[in-house]
Amino acid sequence: MMDASLFTYALYLAAIYSLMAIGISLLWSSVGMVNMAHGATFAISGYAAYFAADWMMPLVKAAVDGPQSMTVLAILTMAVGIVSGAIFGIVIYLVAFLPIHDKPNFAVRSLIITLALNLASVQALLYFFGPQQKALPRFLGSGRMDLFGIPVRIDQLVTIVTTVVLLGLVLFWLRVSRKGLEIRAVMQNSEGAALCGISTRWTALPIMMLTGALAGVAAVLLSQNIFVNPTAGATPLIKGLTIALLGGLGSVPGAVLGAILIGFLEAATGIIPFLGQRYVLVVQFAFIVIMLVIRPRGLGGLLDETRE
Amino acid sequence: MEVKPTQRLFNVGQRPDELTLKPRGDKPWHRLRPPFTRRHWLAWRGVYNPKSLRRERRLLDKRPLWWGLGLGGLLVVTPFMSEQMINIAAIFCIFSAINVIWTLIVGAAGIFSLATMAVVGICGYAAAAANVYLGVPWPLMMPVGAVVGLVFGLFLALPSTRLDGLYYALLTLGIAEICRVSITQIKALAPNNSSINNVDSFIPAAWHLQRPGLLVGFAAAFLLLLAALLVFRLVNSERLGLLLQSAREDEAFSEAIGIDYRAARWWVFVLASCALGAIGAFYAMFYRSISLAVFSLDQLLLLFAMIVIGGLGRSEGAVLGTAVVVLIDKGLIGLGPLRIIIVTAVMIVVALFARDGLTGIKAQFRGFRNRKKSERRAARTEKGGEVMPEEATEIADKQLVYRRLFDKRLRDSLKALITPELIAEHRAKPLGQHTDALDRLLNYFRREEMPDKYGILRVGPLTSCSYRVIALSGRAGHPPRVVDDKLYPTLNEAFHAVFLLRVNDLLAS
Repeated sequence: MMDASLFTYALYLAAIYSLMAIGISLLWSSVGMVNMAHGATFAISGYAAYFAADWMMPLVKAAVDGPQSMTVLAILTMAVGIVSGAIFGIVIYLVAFLPIHDKPNFAVRSLIITLALNLASVQALLYFFGPQQKALPRFLGSGRMDLFGIPVRIDQLVTIVTTVVLLGLVLFWLRVSRKGLEIRAVMQNSEGAALCGISTRWTALPIMMLTGALAGVAAVLLSQNIFVNPTAGATPLIKGLTIALLGGLGSVPGAVLGAILIGFLEAATGIIPFLGQRYVLVVQFAFIVIMLVIRPRGLGGLLDETRE
Repeated sequence: MEVKPTQRLFNVGQRPDELTLKPRGDKPWHRLRPPFTRRHWLAWRGVYNPKSLRRERRLLDKRPLWWGLGLGGLLVVTPFMSEQMINIAAIFCIFSAINVIWTLIVGAAGIFSLATMAVVGICGYAAAAANVYLGVPWPLMMPVGAVVGLVFGLFLALPSTRLDGLYYALLTLGIAEICRVSITQIKALAPNNSSINNVDSFIPAAWHLQRPGLLVGFAAAFLLLLAALLVFRLVNSERLGLLLQSAREDEAFSEAIGIDYRAARWWVFVLASCALGAIGAFYAMFYRSISLAVFSLDQLLLLFAMIVIGGLGRSEGAVLGTAVVVLIDKGLIGLGPLRIIIVTAVMIVVALFARDGLTGIKAQFRGFRNRKKSERRAARTEKGGEVMPEEATEIADKQLVYRRLFDKRLRDSLKALITPELIAEHRAKPLGQHTDALDRLLNYFRREEMPDKYGILRVGPLTSCSYRVIALSGRAGHPPRVVDDKLYPTLNEAFHAVFLLRVNDLLAS
């Protein structure tokens, strides 16, 4: 039942979901806010990537010929997605974090503001670009290739590899750099970090930009398979949020494990004959409900306990 | 004939124009009570105004007044408005009722449930199906909805004490989605796009969407809102609410003194679900149909925006927020998507500047004003005898505070007058006519308080006496003390010695 293409599909879903979930999880554990505007970041980066690809396509085709032109376009579009995601991260930082991060009720108020930003950006996209769906060029390729005798869709493979590489880079950066050390210190104990002279404001800014950029990557990668439209961010936001919660907020390994579980669950639900695609969300929520009733703190809590 | 100047009386106090009620001193004070209780309808208090020195009657809690004005105004104005506005008013009442009950769950019980609209929708569907397919008459629809809400609430409440905060919010969001999808899968409803139509209603079918029908709908929705407020009041301010308040303030402590706050939360949640079920049945009757739009995430977020703008945890916040959002959302319907952007802008502004929503602004402003006041007072204060701000709050007689400030200013001006010439003038002639500066100084010295006031003691026989300076104790029965052992041969020299001591004290103060 679980054949090879399904396996890569599940990994592909897990890759996209983990990009979203890690963003939400990182932000919660370091800054202490639930970023409901993550879906808006996703949608806006998707639109930015679409317009950039639309505009750059003739230029790139003129400059580079042959199959390399698509690779160049893919890299440029990805860069645009990353940059626009990071810029929207700065916007969220300026509106939802900077004015109120040291005021009472920060967690609830920032949640409300990011929720409002999400609603507002969806409506603004609808207002300016209309409800039409935009399709990005398939620059990741659409053929299949043989990987150790298994036929794999190229775009899914590229997505998985890109995600693994990018997440590896991010985790490596968090592990070795000075800023990463500061971020990890804030994640462990924000008051202690502040007492050691680590500025909460200057640590939150790169985290916001980083999580925004991750959402931008997810948008560009996923828009190879779905269309870009104003409400495109809603599903990734809900999936990311549920997976971040399932993994236990603040736990990166928990988020990755949750994303893989949910990815496989979604891929499996889609092909079971009497369930089918319509029940994907229901099965997922039912699974998460059962998981949360068994483990109220999510999977990350489990990992934390075993570590101790 | 000499014209007598008209006497001007000055109003005393900060707000002399404020209307105050004066109690009749000669009559006993009757206060109305709700039947069979020892509570009062309004929180009247008799207070003594220290500024005007009068007895006053004050309404300690003015919220009933605002409630009466707001809801009474709505009730009076609505019948004269356009049909569209009547409909908006009715929708406002229904959403307010939902939000008031939701506030009970989120604010009083502290359970962050997002399944509100799911409960409303499921119960609405159940009641509508009971009416359409089982032939239950419409007056029984609300009890049916309440029973379904009770069962559904029991089911939802099971994990509520185990999970906390966001995790429970997520779970309820999931349950809402599950509800929506399972209704889309009901085969019998598929031809109507999963909605139930032609539900019986308290509005006669002939009046549907006509002006009398809209008015009946509004009146019923208004009664629904009143009932929701009554439920809120009965749960939040009576025993259950008090138990939950203690849990909100300190969970560990309330558990230690034997309050089972988990059971109290559970009860509130189940009661609120029951009420939401009844509202769901009302919803189906009001529209004469119910569709999947009840479950939509946008609707839920809009409701969330309402309780957030008004202020989480207060019934007046829920109603005020609903009024603001419904007016923008339904009143400006010509603006299209722009009106949602306006709602979100209001949300952002409120969340940025108001700590507890619109209804928390008053308390927040008072705190801000008090902080600024004390900052200003602290900046203005110099050391030197006058009252410090922290001391000033504890002195009841504010005249004393000002007296000390005045004294300090007077001493500062007198210090500037002291010159070597002035001292020489006093040495030459301690008694008799002096210059203006010396007169002012001596006048001030004469007004000193009795403790430590200087005196002159004659030492030895009258014919060959000398003089010594003493300081009075200021207390009856306690002798004065000797200041130093210098002896002055003449009285004038002794006068001058006292003068120098006082000048010294003044400059040192």
